[in-house]
Amino acid sequence: MPEADGAATAPLLLTAAAMLALRGAGMLLAGTLRPDHPFIRWAAAVSQAVLAAFVTLAVIAPAGAVAAVPLPARLAGLAAGLGVHAATGGRMLPSLGAGLAVLLGVRALL
Amino acid sequence: MPLALPLSGLRPGLSAALGAPAVAMVATFLAFGAAVRDAGLGLPWALGASLLIYGMPGQLVLLQFAAAGGGGGGATPAVLGAVAANARFLPMAVALTPWLGGGRGRLLALPFIAITPWAAAMQALPGLAPTARLPWFLGFALVSWSLAGLATAAGHALMPLLDPALLAALLFANPLYFALLLAAGMGVPASRQAVLAGALAAPVGLLLPPAWALLGAGVLGGTVAFLAGRGRA
Repeated sequence: MPEADGAATAPLLLTAAAMLALRGAGMLLAGTLRPDHPFIRWAAAVSQAVLAAFVTLAVIAPAGAVAAVPLPARLAGLAAGLGVHAATGGRMLPSLGAGLAVLLGVRALL
Repeated sequence: MPLALPLSGLRPGLSAALGAPAVAMVATFLAFGAAVRDAGLGLPWALGASLLIYGMPGQLVLLQFAAAGGGGGGATPAVLGAVAANARFLPMAVALTPWLGGGRGRLLALPFIAITPWAAAMQALPGLAPTARLPWFLGFALVSWSLAGLATAAGHALMPLLDPALLAALLFANPLYFALLLAAGMGVPASRQAVLAGALAAPVGLLLPPAWALLGAGVLGGTVAFLAGRGRA
């Protein structure tokens, strides 16, 4: 095991335990509520909004290696994926492939 | 509900996980495995992060900490940051749990509640018979989780061979896949409102500390969408 792993192991295990606790707390909270309960509907709206925010930030202000891809390439990849998705009646795999291919293509051109 | 789940009940979810979700999962975790090796960390740490945390934003926060050699402020900020980055697990579990049935069997789903299985399940489960929902989720989740581990190991092994452009494309597969999933649900007014509000609230997240950006934007956007929906109901 690399030396760096030792210092990073305790935070990893603590975070893993916290993730289980978060998921478990959600299950406990929801345990007695029906799917159409206002709290469940609010939680569903928040979860979807988190996902939408994740996608938006990953396109307009990404971190890490994606940040090295120019914004026009990221936007073109997203637009191509959504366009193929709409044109093919919601087929995911061709849409995903088209989006990534356009991202790489536009990045190579810029 | 009995804890014993027939394997045939897992099959529909298992099949559903082997298309675009698998491509998105493999691409993202392949890139994560490569990034872990790039940071000088070993395969056990990479696998622990992917399989035990199983939420990419939190994994990346923790990797930043680990890559910096453990940082100077102790582990607490890293753990809090990772928990905040993955705090969406709480509302996701709240929203998903009622679809998993009322028995103890649903506890089996606990470690697998993450964006990809959650997003796919929220689309598929309402259309299934109640007894088929938990097996569907477990089938989907087991495939996704296993692929996450395998892809992490592959990315760790292949890192020296990966081109930076390819690595960026792999990392982009995940948000693109989620965008497609969200697009598929835009026909439902409540989903459409939540997605639009979340996207509009995203820039607010940029004003927050990075670890809180997603949750802050999501709570703001989701609450506005929920209240707007109630106002019209």
